[in-house]
Amino acid sequence: MNPLAAEPILDALTSHRLLAAAAAVATFAPLAGIAGAQLAGARLNPRLPAGWSLATSLAAALTLAWTWRSGPGHEVLLGPRLAGGSLVHLDGLTAILLPLVAIVALAITLVAPRRAATVGGATRLLAGASLTAAFMTTSHPAALVLLWVASLVPTWLSTRATPGGRPTARVYALMMGAGSVLFAVGVGLMAVDPPWADHAGPAGAAGGWMVTVAVMIRKGIVPFHSWYPAVFTAAPMSAALAATMPQVASYAAVRLLVGHADGVRAELVVLSQAALITAAYGAALAVVQRDVRGLVGTLALSQSAMVLAGLSGGLPMELCGALAVWVSSGLSLTGIGLVAWALESRAGALALDSPQGRFTDAPTLAAFFLLFGLASLGFPGTLSFVADDLIVAGSLGDQPHVGLLVIVATVFSGIAVVRGWFRIFGGPSTPDAPRHQILRRERLPLSLLLAVLFGLGLWPGPFVQSLEQVATSLLGPSRNAPAHSVPGDHP
Amino acid sequence: MISALASRHDLAAGLIVTQIAAPAATLLGLGLPALVGRAPSEQATTRAVAAGFGLAFVAALVSLAVGAARGFPVEVVHLGTLFSVGHHTATIELVADGLSIPYVCFSTGLCSLVNAFAGRYLHREPGFTRFFILLALFGFGMNLLVLAGSIDVLFAGWECVGISSTLLIGFFHERRTAVAAALRAFITYRICDMGLLAAGVVIHHAVGSGDFGRVFAGAWPAATCLVPAATAVPAALLLVFAALGKSAQVPFSGWLPRAMEGPTPSSAIFYGALSIHAGAYLLLRCGPLLDAAPAAGWLLVAIGLGTAIHAAVVGSVQTDLKGMLAYASMTQAGLILAEIGLGWRVVPLVHVISHAILRSLQILRSPSALHDRHELSAALGGPPGQGESPLVRLLPAGLQATLYRIALDRGFEDAWVGRFLVAPVVASLEAAAEFERRLVARLGGSQDVANEWHRDRGAA
Repeated sequence: MNPLAAEPILDALTSHRLLAAAAAVATFAPLAGIAGAQLAGARLNPRLPAGWSLATSLAAALTLAWTWRSGPGHEVLLGPRLAGGSLVHLDGLTAILLPLVAIVALAITLVAPRRAATVGGATRLLAGASLTAAFMTTSHPAALVLLWVASLVPTWLSTRATPGGRPTARVYALMMGAGSVLFAVGVGLMAVDPPWADHAGPAGAAGGWMVTVAVMIRKGIVPFHSWYPAVFTAAPMSAALAATMPQVASYAAVRLLVGHADGVRAELVVLSQAALITAAYGAALAVVQRDVRGLVGTLALSQSAMVLAGLSGGLPMELCGALAVWVSSGLSLTGIGLVAWALESRAGALALDSPQGRFTDAPTLAAFFLLFGLASLGFPGTLSFVADDLIVAGSLGDQPHVGLLVIVATVFSGIAVVRGWFRIFGGPSTPDAPRHQILRRERLPLSLLLAVLFGLGLWPGPFVQSLEQVATSLLGPSRNAPAHSVPGDHP
Repeated sequence: MISALASRHDLAAGLIVTQIAAPAATLLGLGLPALVGRAPSEQATTRAVAAGFGLAFVAALVSLAVGAARGFPVEVVHLGTLFSVGHHTATIELVADGLSIPYVCFSTGLCSLVNAFAGRYLHREPGFTRFFILLALFGFGMNLLVLAGSIDVLFAGWECVGISSTLLIGFFHERRTAVAAALRAFITYRICDMGLLAAGVVIHHAVGSGDFGRVFAGAWPAATCLVPAATAVPAALLLVFAALGKSAQVPFSGWLPRAMEGPTPSSAIFYGALSIHAGAYLLLRCGPLLDAAPAAGWLLVAIGLGTAIHAAVVGSVQTDLKGMLAYASMTQAGLILAEIGLGWRVVPLVHVISHAILRSLQILRSPSALHDRHELSAALGGPPGQGESPLVRLLPAGLQATLYRIALDRGFEDAWVGRFLVAPVVASLEAAAEFERRLVARLGGSQDVANEWHRDRGAA
């Protein structure tokens, strides 16, 4: 073989091996953190092994993202395959989502109040992060079903272990149990009778609808949404954020529905319209919440639904917008949730019925809350502004009502965030209130999250270019092109 | 010849960019250290803001001189592409013309003066740095709004003005009334912002771009509209809706008198001068759309005149000076919008600038009103007259009493808006939120939430 001709192949192999190795480290590093926390037991603060393992996971995820961006940009498929899915499926979507999973988990670990930094809590968080990362590196139907179910367990355990959390844990189990059964059966039917095949039968169509309903349940889409804010109210903030921000169901929707849009057109239409209603309804509910956890929960409900509304739109620009909302809402709502958690750890539960006067206690946390709030509601200079612009611009051609509903959702979210800010921080301060300034372990992750949100908002070009590449490969003709495989995988 | 033109364009571009970059640099220079717990001293703060606004003001003055000498040609400055997906490209464009250059000159000048005043006025006030960060954000946003070359950039400036205005109304955050007033202002802004966002969507849909160069043809004030007539009407109506909130027009005027809860310097520059006229500026910039949609123009005349009468009547019974000045601002803002609705362009611009200068001076002097009155009394040898309007004396006594009652209740505007707009929406949302809580409680087998709800209802 001509050595010059072999060079690009070797480069590709090297980059594919690097991608696979980075994905493996990003996925399994949290498990090392669990081992570290368990071995150290009470002798060591579990935040330490958890933090280091998640920092390793984040570094690996960023390496994967960088390698994918600077490499050939093809999919990497490894391991057994079934019904168009592969056990290991690395592409642009993975490159975007793995860093999100890692950074959210790392921020939660660092900001978690001291009393929440237990071995059990750290174990559940790390297990959840590892399972979520694994979910986002596969497209194999069986693996998706297994990881879908397994990634529910840490949240359920955390909610159940919280005082007064059992009723919500029951609701969670009920909804997620129903969703999991539908997902398993639906994925099975789609694997047996793919609805995108030339001679698709009714079984595949039924499977498509079952997966759609399962996604709606897990995403909290109207009419299956009530559990979503309830988890934020009853579960520890760490569990609620870790369970909802990476958006496992959106990933499933991309792999099983959006990636095969021709075969599931009706399902995607229902999904996008229901998601739009949820985005507006969730934002409207956020305006009248009585406590800060309800506010964070309803805002998350609205923002995560907006992701699905864009994903199901079927146009590359909408898909780009949805991916951008995915990242921006994940980071900004994690920030809001963590600030709220930090405040609660100082002053107890925060009601929104009347001004609580917390500005004097925590002016820097007030600034962070406001900046994260602005970053979540489409404020110019933030990633959410770019995301909303893409969704609205993408929908102008064939569904202008999408743009108008996104505007309504953004307006309500804005009112809810600013109302929440004034109710938490405004009003007379209590003379004997605790005076705790922001801690260094809180300031660092919150600043990092803000830097990403504003950095990508002020200089969005390269990031949007990556999103476009992902959207095009998910929707465009390249979807049908044979994926680039490396030796050793098993077709 | 070409190189001379290019160098002229580079000079104009440099000047325009300076007017945006200087306040932006000030904002970052103050904001980032404050966020990491290293807030600068009072002296450093005021000097940084003075340098930022001063530089912008000098650049604006040079732009004005150059522009006036050349007859204000339209200079479009392309700052770059924010991002590009498919056929959709988000560009950052600024425009310098006969509207934006005089306006930015006066806005940066006022910001510089208010900065000088506020440095002394807020000396040793908790939140000193916060005030100047918000003032820098406002100055940056205002300049962006004024120099915007597209509706997207204008929206970015519009939002900066809105959030800085809200936070400055609630500056004295320990006062419940200040917090309530700030929230009221923000809700009004946000609802009316829907108009601007939707107008942007409609304009993009119609011409495929939000750049003013593709929406309008020709130089201000003689520009013409390139948006098809069928689309121009809804776009113009949406822009009018957006302007009503920022310019405190009926039925969205209730926030303005309450906004005087903020510090006097910010009241002067926001509600006496710049923020209150942001709506007027938007409509002046998009004047060709109003020309293409006469219905929107007549609606604007009706609302503007209605607001002017309402504010004149209500303002005449105000018992505090800042409240009276707020209604006086509202009266003039209404008249200015009516002038724009009539199709005038230069007259409202002159009216805006002259009114803004007078009103901000009055508001800045308002804390010294008693002192001024004592001096006046001493000079006159007795108290000055009450100055009741002779027009009022011409009205029948019964009508005077009725008007007095209406004025005391602020024209029943707040009551009607609260009863017919806010209350039904809030009641529906609260009912929905309660339904969600009860549903989760029932599904989870817990009666606590349901019982609590019934208890609350019983207590109510």
